[in-house]
Amino acid sequence: MADVVYLHVGAPKTGTTYIQDRLALNRTQLARHDVRYPLGARGDMFHAALDLIERPWGGMLPDAKGEWDALVKRTRRAHGSVVISHEILAGATGEQVERAVASLAPAEIHVVLTVRDIARQVPAEWQERLKHQGRMRYGKFVRRIQKPRSEIGRSFWQVQGVTQVLERWSRQLPPERVHVVTVPQPGAPHGELWRRFCRAIDVDPDWAPLDSVRRNPSIGAPESAMLRQLNDRLRRTRLEHADYRTLVRHLIVHETLATEPVQQRITLPPNHYEWADEIFESWREWIVGSGVAVVGDVEDLRPVRPAPDAIWHDPDRTRPRQVADAALDALVAMIEEAARRDDPDEHLSVRVTKAAKRLRER
Amino acid sequence: MSGDSETPGIRRAWGWVAHLRAGGTTPWRDWVGEGVAYGRHLPGAQQLELLRRLNEAGDVPAELATRVIEASAPGRGRPDLELVGSVDLPAFGPPPVDPADLSADELLRVATGLLAEDVHAAGLPELAPVRPRPWRTRYRLLGDPMLAASRRAELVSRGRPPGGRNELVLVLGTDVAQMMVDAWTARSIGIGVSPWPEWVRKARRLDTLPERVDLARQARSAAERVGVRRVRVVLDVDALPRLVGVRRPLAAGPEISADAAELARRTGQVLALLATPVERAALLREVLVPRLAEHPGPALALPRRHLEWARGQARTMRDELVRAGYPVHGDPDGLLPVVRHGVSQPSDAGVLALALRLLLEKKK
Amino acid sequence: MSTRVLLHVGTPKTGTSYLQDVLFRNQRTLSAAGIHYPADRFDAHFLAALDLMRMPWGGLENQAVGQWDKLAKQVRRNDGTSIISHEILATASRAQVGRALTSLGHDDGTEIHVVISVRDLVRQIPAEWQENVKHRASLSYRAFLDQIQDPRREARISTWFWGVQELPEILDRWGDDLPPERIHLVTVPPVGGPPELLWKRFSTAFGLDGIDLTLEAERTNPSLGVPETALVRRINRAANQELEPRDYRPLVRELLAHQTLSRRAGSPRLALPPDLHPWVSDVTASWVEEIERRGYDVVGDLGDLAGAPPVTDYVDPDHPDEAQVADAAVDALKAVLLEGARLQRREGELQAELDQVYKALERSYLRPTYRWRERTVRRLQHSELGLRALAAYRRARGRSSPPA
Repeated sequence: MADVVYLHVGAPKTGTTYIQDRLALNRTQLARHDVRYPLGARGDMFHAALDLIERPWGGMLPDAKGEWDALVKRTRRAHGSVVISHEILAGATGEQVERAVASLAPAEIHVVLTVRDIARQVPAEWQERLKHQGRMRYGKFVRRIQKPRSEIGRSFWQVQGVTQVLERWSRQLPPERVHVVTVPQPGAPHGELWRRFCRAIDVDPDWAPLDSVRRNPSIGAPESAMLRQLNDRLRRTRLEHADYRTLVRHLIVHETLATEPVQQRITLPPNHYEWADEIFESWREWIVGSGVAVVGDVEDLRPVRPAPDAIWHDPDRTRPRQVADAALDALVAMIEEAARRDDPDEHLSVRVTKAAKRLRER
Repeated sequence: MSGDSETPGIRRAWGWVAHLRAGGTTPWRDWVGEGVAYGRHLPGAQQLELLRRLNEAGDVPAELATRVIEASAPGRGRPDLELVGSVDLPAFGPPPVDPADLSADELLRVATGLLAEDVHAAGLPELAPVRPRPWRTRYRLLGDPMLAASRRAELVSRGRPPGGRNELVLVLGTDVAQMMVDAWTARSIGIGVSPWPEWVRKARRLDTLPERVDLARQARSAAERVGVRRVRVVLDVDALPRLVGVRRPLAAGPEISADAAELARRTGQVLALLATPVERAALLREVLVPRLAEHPGPALALPRRHLEWARGQARTMRDELVRAGYPVHGDPDGLLPVVRHGVSQPSDAGVLALALRLLLEKKK
Repeated sequence: MSTRVLLHVGTPKTGTSYLQDVLFRNQRTLSAAGIHYPADRFDAHFLAALDLMRMPWGGLENQAVGQWDKLAKQVRRNDGTSIISHEILATASRAQVGRALTSLGHDDGTEIHVVISVRDLVRQIPAEWQENVKHRASLSYRAFLDQIQDPRREARISTWFWGVQELPEILDRWGDDLPPERIHLVTVPPVGGPPELLWKRFSTAFGLDGIDLTLEAERTNPSLGVPETALVRRINRAANQELEPRDYRPLVRELLAHQTLSRRAGSPRLALPPDLHPWVSDVTASWVEEIERRGYDVVGDLGDLAGAPPVTDYVDPDHPDEAQVADAAVDALKAVLLEGARLQRREGELQAELDQVYKALERSYLRPTYRWRERTVRRLQHSELGLRALAAYRRARGRSSPPA
């Protein structure tokens, strides 16, 4: 059994993709220092986390059955310390947390939560929902999450409510085993988040020299507006989840729209900063009061107001020409993709002809 | 309605027609004589100017002169045009032109139409069927089509057709820049292709070598079929006879100039409407190409600005071939492009001059 | 020997496809009435026209070899009246017209008539630009209009436009050898008239009155609105160079232009810019005057050629409402996405089916007993892919040597 287990439970949109990829890349090097990152055959811990938190997730849940136990088994076989990381773990209920902690006993358990200021989390979460067929306007989303009892509000705070998440995950742990890693504000030196994360899991950053290039890329206001309209129009079609994932999320968003530097970054609407400040204060109060271990600076979580002359780009009110351009880029990428695919009927009958010819020549 | 009224301008035009039919070379703008109409309509400016150029280039038989005058320019382009000064500005139709102002491209449309007719009329030479030898080496030639085609044809004529049980797949190649030229040339004298600059631009834009040039891809798909051990990469063509089990060397194919390849490409476009695709390719290869080969000229070469790109592609291809472990005959670095003498693209004027020479050649 | 040939030589966008469709479907009925429309496929006359004019057409010309002479031979063999119809014939040169008339028996006493259907330039000009855009052009409407107004007519666009539109000049080429009463002009009625009026005029011109023909609902050549045309033009600009014609045709022209964008309602229509109306009126007036002078037979009304007055709500397709373009683009994106997903799934299905076929073929080959093969064959005959595989298999077996 591993001696120490670090459970990195989120939150979503706090650089978790980067951290997980860097852990995976340096798995062999880390193992030499008795730090394990026990990925299974799936290549990430998504299915294990899903199995634990039991959400439907686009019909993928049945596929995840038994994955948490398998992860526990891999953890038991390991020596030294083990890192488990997936951001959807942030949403685990109190009971699920108990189950997770119990399954990993008797190892010494640490919980790590990476946290970013709420002003950056709001647009990031909205965009993430767009990439999962979301259709809600930004303005409405911002208003809804301020009503914690609404459906949107509940699902948002379930993973983004730092105090709630930490309360659920830290119930059975002494505060020094709960680590809050703050995400630095823009302008910090490259790799700062990684170094902080390493400190939390007691790893020398030099043990993981390979850098990751994976990011969860973001798109600007016009591209988001276009994606929202597209989702709206796809609603009544029978586009399957899997097709949406490969064609819309990967091909259109990640490989087409997100390849250019973002011109019109989406930020918190200007009149919501007071609310954001209140959230920050409540987080700070909780973190300081609870005595959990902070890596970085709690001040990193204070919402940064935009410069007074900065223009706010409202994704609900974009310049139509820019939306048209985004749609055109996506359209061309899609046409080229369809063209690459050839006509399967034609293509395959050519292959049948070849196969038949080969049989004859034997 | 030029035939209706006998104006001095019309009489001058008919005079020029008679002058050209008699072998004259005076340009229209210098022409002063008059003549009588012998048809309902004056021939188009394109046809007359082409005839004048032919007269400048040699003796035009009467039959050819008539064909030129009665020809239509095939395909899309400007319609038959009137001679400026022969008629008043007509109320309808395109304005009259001075034939000297017509582009080589417009004249080429008429010329390639006639040339395609000649090639089609010549027909395919009869080939005596050759009985395949029973104990021949079974092989298949892939790779650079210009290297492979002539050698394959010679092997067939020696009773050694390609294919068969346990065949050895031989992927022929040379430096990548030359293979680009060869691939385009092969399509010009085969199934047809876009113009050379456009074709090269497309390869650059897609950042991949065309299929016929990509030896690694051809070798890979052959290996899937017959296994890696039965695929050979042949960069030294002198090694080929031994590999296919013959003693006498195999002759290289005819070399044709940049302008000749372009002329074949354009003639092939018209030939597509006279012959089936298979016939067309055979007519180009067996009737037109031997004639083109008799008119040497500067060869086509990959423009220098593409050499660096070609070198990168060549390295990737070399590394993949070596890594896959196919036996290589010749130096794998032979794939890297070398600077060759030649022109970076065909010229319309050169292509037209060549077309004129071919039209004038005595029928054999 | 036909006693009479009706040659319909143009112009595009005047209901020609509908007419050709009716003639093709009713070949038997027509034949019983002594009227022949010799065509073994719906585009037989198009191929014949390509052959006559030696015109490459994106590879289709390969199927055109010898088609004109074949058509002419059929016409000469038939008794009674024969009809030939294709609108690209409008561009034939005098020499090609001469060849066509001779091959149809003009010099041997066959009575040849030329029919040309015409529509006002007010509609033809925007329609022709749109047609260009649907065939990958990326030039702006303004550039198109400038080109067709350039009196030198050297550019490809204007050469083609006037070649198929300029009535007196087309008839100079086609009708020079014929008496004017054998040249028939069918005018397309203005928008808003009775829908069957154009067909009645065709029926009169081609002598089809009184024959009981099956008429299908008119297949309107789907047209695009302003933002939709602007969008296709932008697609052309962005994707033209990467897309092969064989991909452009099904994806952009068919799926997007015809099946998706032309079905969008409420977009502003493409129109002739009001400032060009005086020029168009002058051109049309000179045509009408010339046609009246020549004394051709007119079915309909030459007044139809004047076209509608300038629109009051003209929308410039070079500066469309961007919100409308964005809307159209998202609709188009949805259509391609669904097609992409369909292709993905179909590929998976076929692959699974193909594996089955492979296995069956392998087995039947390894155990070459007659009964075993028969069973395989019977089973394969129940699947579409299996049928194709069998055909390929038989072809491969029948071939004496595989192609090099």
